[in-house]
Amino acid sequence: MEKFRVLIVDDEGEFVETIVKRLRDRGLEAEGALSGQEALDLLDEQEFDVCVLDYRMPGMDGIETLRHMKKKKPRMEVIMLTGHGSVESGIQGLQLGAYNYVMKPAPLKDLLHQMELAYERKLIEEERFKTLGAE
Amino acid sequence: MSSFLKKVNLSGVEPYLMTALIFACAIPLLFAGRYLLSGGAVALGAISLFHTRRILASMGRIAEQRIMSGIAEERLITDDRACRSQIFSSVDTLSAGIAHEINNPLGIIAQEIQWIGHLTESPSMRGIKEAEDLRDSLREISRQVDRCKETVHKLLSLARQVEPVLQFVDVNELIRSMVIVAERQAAAKKITIVRRLESGLPVVASDPPLLRQVLLNLLLNATQAIDQEGVITVSTRSLGGEFVEIKVQDNGCGIPREHLARIFTPFFSTKPEGKGTGLGLAISRGIIERLGGSIDVSSEPGESTTFTIRVPVNSRRVNATLARG
Repeated sequence: MEKFRVLIVDDEGEFVETIVKRLRDRGLEAEGALSGQEALDLLDEQEFDVCVLDYRMPGMDGIETLRHMKKKKPRMEVIMLTGHGSVESGIQGLQLGAYNYVMKPAPLKDLLHQMELAYERKLIEEERFKTLGAE
Repeated sequence: MSSFLKKVNLSGVEPYLMTALIFACAIPLLFAGRYLLSGGAVALGAISLFHTRRILASMGRIAEQRIMSGIAEERLITDDRACRSQIFSSVDTLSAGIAHEINNPLGIIAQEIQWIGHLTESPSMRGIKEAEDLRDSLREISRQVDRCKETVHKLLSLARQVEPVLQFVDVNELIRSMVIVAERQAAAKKITIVRRLESGLPVVASDPPLLRQVLLNLLLNATQAIDQEGVITVSTRSLGGEFVEIKVQDNGCGIPREHLARIFTPFFSTKPEGKGTGLGLAISRGIIERLGGSIDVSSEPGESTTFTIRVPVNSRRVNATLARG
């Protein structure tokens, strides 16, 4: 899988720092944001393919952030991370266009696999969009 | 044709009638060949039934009556489908209208709430004890506005006909991860979720987020159907390598017979006011049908409810898509 651009959003600074570092080690372009607002501001400056978004954050929560993200960047795929799963919030996230709803703690290997699948989906959608545009 | 023949219960028909019947069925089949190209399977069924009925009309009333009842049944099934697609297309039109006509006022209400909230913070309001009541009240209005927004959003996602994005899906893996999400809430009600996942299931080409949404919906319903203590069983099996079947069964309150037929209808809900919009199953059926599959329900009131999903394996389609991508 070619390298893609990942945005990690979580209010736990250490988690963001570790995961960003490990993703960069694997050759991905990774950035971190510590709040929903910070993530949305970053989206104005930079393009990302996949975002990993924590569900529970102080201030703007994950669902609200997701809503704004999908308005700003409808093609960026978002994986929701949650500490204690709630079926209702899972449905809500997926309905708002999230790719997956993953329980914490998620081993990096599994998370990375989900990111790759999310990126694959983005490529398929972009391809479809191009084909439609060409017709 | 075979279901049709079954309906015409041949045992009571005289041998010569049988021969005639076989001819009668062959002729419309030939006729129907022409329509097959343009009309598809439904047209074939309807046209052949129509011709069969006409030819047989001269061959005795018994046969006539049996075939009529066959047609009636066939027609009921077709009518149900037609009716359903009619409902859905009117829901489509309606929701587009609702989205506009309700979302805009909701937006204005939300802005005004913010403005009033701001005013209650002003110096002249300070020390007035009703100000806090006012803010409480505003918070409640704001919650209800959010609720309306959510319903509108769900209605829209019911109507939105986004074409699925097909990817290879390990159905068992997808189920496992969604069961983990549901397990905590289930455990709080002493509900055990049993997985009976067939190994060696074919990888299916489907839309993972859409499938996840349907599964969570079924798990949510199953959890809500059980009052306290119970078992939810999620099972999978391969159907001849063409379809994968997923069953979600709960031993909860069951669904009364008179509700079963309406359970997938938009806004049909038996849950208490404010719990569920009555769109979950309607959305789920919409999704599964878009994925080329089917979703069915069966229930023994007071005993159990089972939802059965069948999704096509579809591997040729996705190979083509992925090869392009």
